[in-house]
Amino acid sequence: MPVIEIKNLTKTYNETMVPVHALNGINLEFEKGEFTAIVGPSGCGKTTLLNMMGGLDQPTSGSVIIENEDITQMNRGALTDFRLHHVGFIFQAYNLIPVLTVKENVEFIMELQHRNKKDIADRVNYLLTAMGMEDKINVRPKYLSGGQQQRVAVARALVSKPKFILADEPTANLDSKSTDTLLDLMATLNEKEQVTFIFSTHDQRVMDKARRIITLEDGKVISDTKLKATHESINS
Amino acid sequence: MLIQIAWRNVWRNKTRSLVIIIAVALGLWGGIFSDAFMQGMAAQQIYSVIHTETGHIQLNQPGFLLNHDMQMQVKDADRIIAAIKTNSAVEGVSAIIQLPAMASTASGSSGIMVNGIQPSDQEKVSDLSKLLIQGDYFKSDRTNQVVIGQQLADKLKVKLHSRIVLTLQTTTGDIVYGAFKVTGIFRTHDSEFDKQMIFVRNKDIQQLVGFPPDAASIITVLLNNNDDTKKVATTIQKQFSGMQVQSWIQLSPMLQILSGTMIQFTLIFVGIILIALAFGIINTMLMAVMDRTREIGMLLSIGMKPSKVFGMIMLETIFLSLTGAIIGVIVSIASISFFGHYGINLSIIAEGFNAFGYSSIVYPTLGVNFYIMLAIMVIIIAIIAGLFPARRAVRLKPAEAVRGD
Ligand SMILES: Nc1ncnc2c1ncn2[C@@H]1O[C@H](COP(=O)(O)OP(=O)(O)O)[C@@H](O)[C@H]1O
Ligand SMILES: [Mg+2]
Repeated sequence: MPVIEIKNLTKTYNETMVPVHALNGINLEFEKGEFTAIVGPSGCGKTTLLNMMGGLDQPTSGSVIIENEDITQMNRGALTDFRLHHVGFIFQAYNLIPVLTVKENVEFIMELQHRNKKDIADRVNYLLTAMGMEDKINVRPKYLSGGQQQRVAVARALVSKPKFILADEPTANLDSKSTDTLLDLMATLNEKEQVTFIFSTHDQRVMDKARRIITLEDGKVISDTKLKATHESINS
Repeated sequence: MLIQIAWRNVWRNKTRSLVIIIAVALGLWGGIFSDAFMQGMAAQQIYSVIHTETGHIQLNQPGFLLNHDMQMQVKDADRIIAAIKTNSAVEGVSAIIQLPAMASTASGSSGIMVNGIQPSDQEKVSDLSKLLIQGDYFKSDRTNQVVIGQQLADKLKVKLHSRIVLTLQTTTGDIVYGAFKVTGIFRTHDSEFDKQMIFVRNKDIQQLVGFPPDAASIITVLLNNNDDTKKVATTIQKQFSGMQVQSWIQLSPMLQILSGTMIQFTLIFVGIILIALAFGIINTMLMAVMDRTREIGMLLSIGMKPSKVFGMIMLETIFLSLTGAIIGVIVSIASISFFGHYGINLSIIAEGFNAFGYSSIVYPTLGVNFYIMLAIMVIIIAIIAGLFPARRAVRLKPAEAVRGD
């Protein structure tokens, strides 16, 4: 069963003088454990698509079904809860809460979920170590490099074991070395935790690391290529 | 964690937060201190009136105070005084014969109130003997001495040792004259009192008008502690149910207004300052929310409930306001206790104050009640001020707030 099923999704922005058809009938399925890049030129609808999948915005028509539930039908409260428990987000920037330390930032999600202290401590320690941030746990984000900040953001996204992680151009502000490091860490954790990663990018180096590439143009899927067998399909 | 985040957020933009914190602190300091000053003036005046004019409690025939009818006498005054003195809360009791009269000299005449007293008793209920600017307070045993206020002395153009003639009515309705020698001139905080009230030995006046011995117009009681006034007044009233027993609050409606409405008035005054400050707080917090649009969008996106984001901004507003308020209150308490101890000397403009019955040295004071009310008001104002920025924050659409481009 797919983790995410997108059916006939359209999104038209009407706030502008001329309506913008950002998504024009998207049909996609994502399986557990995928490591997928959504690519395409600026303005093709990547962010809009990710926002619909993460329940951050309502589509004009169509549905986003996550484990038999259509999230486009949920009210605001239910969506907030859905995002908290089932989606990990990594944004291009402004991921972290500036007044909290690295550790507190990662703990934050689990505290919002009212998890017990020991679970939180174990999980946070494990992830920050996995992301190579163990010696920065008590540092505030502004003292970290962009790459380090994104690594903390990845740990934060993964912390509550969400169904999938959405990353909108996570490397757009990073140099190539940090980009490689981040992608490798993401790939490792994708394997280890069997969590679905879906990220948008227009960076060739990032695409090269993906196992599936979905190309958008003018709000339509123009190609969907599975490059390598996913971890799951190797096993099965 | 919400509390921690909110508190740390207050200190993110230190300059901006400090500006509003200092504004709140200064605004409150100004408000609180002027309130304490006014309270101090009120307390001063209440004290002066009690200790020079009314005493804490007065006993007389019902209706006597309406027209000073000399037939309305408190008979058996000695027995009543003795009974009142048994109460340990009582500091002094004095019997007074009070008669309206006309005081005349070659330069003019004035309607006045003659107070016939036993000086040693009267000194136990009134500080008047300490307020003499000339002469003495019945030091010699000579008959027909009179102690008058400075205002009256000026009006009648009399000096120490001058003679004034008092015209009174006897108990049988005849008119009598008595020549009295000015042996003391006093000056209180109340110029009306200084114009109206003159003091003579009771036996001099008794003889003149035929007032029965062992009778008085008024019995004045001074207590050790003002707080006992109500209790003791009730006790005395029970003991002498046929008499009218009144506390200073009933005797001086002006003092009643002063003591009763002061706290409300001071709170209104500080309240207005707080409302003005609220606009500054709203502005600061709106700026803080706008600056953090993306961050707040991120928080909403990752699943922080809007109610929590709302709470976070509310807490920030409350912390910001409370920090300023606490600093303002600390500075206020410090300055109030300093000036409460040393006093603020207003002698430069004291003439003006004296006319209204105020003393020239004011000791600012504020009750604990005031601070409790103030704390409640600050929190209420902060909550109201926080509503706008907090609402603005939760209205952000996460998808738009986090857009990278
Ligand atoms: N809030 C919005 N209002 C109006 N138009 C929008 C809005 N957000 C995105 N768009 C438009 O929708 C199209 C797709 O945008 P987006 O999803 O951000 O593309 P990408 O992330 O691939 O650059 C663009 O033409 C963009 O201008
Ligand atoms: Mg985009």
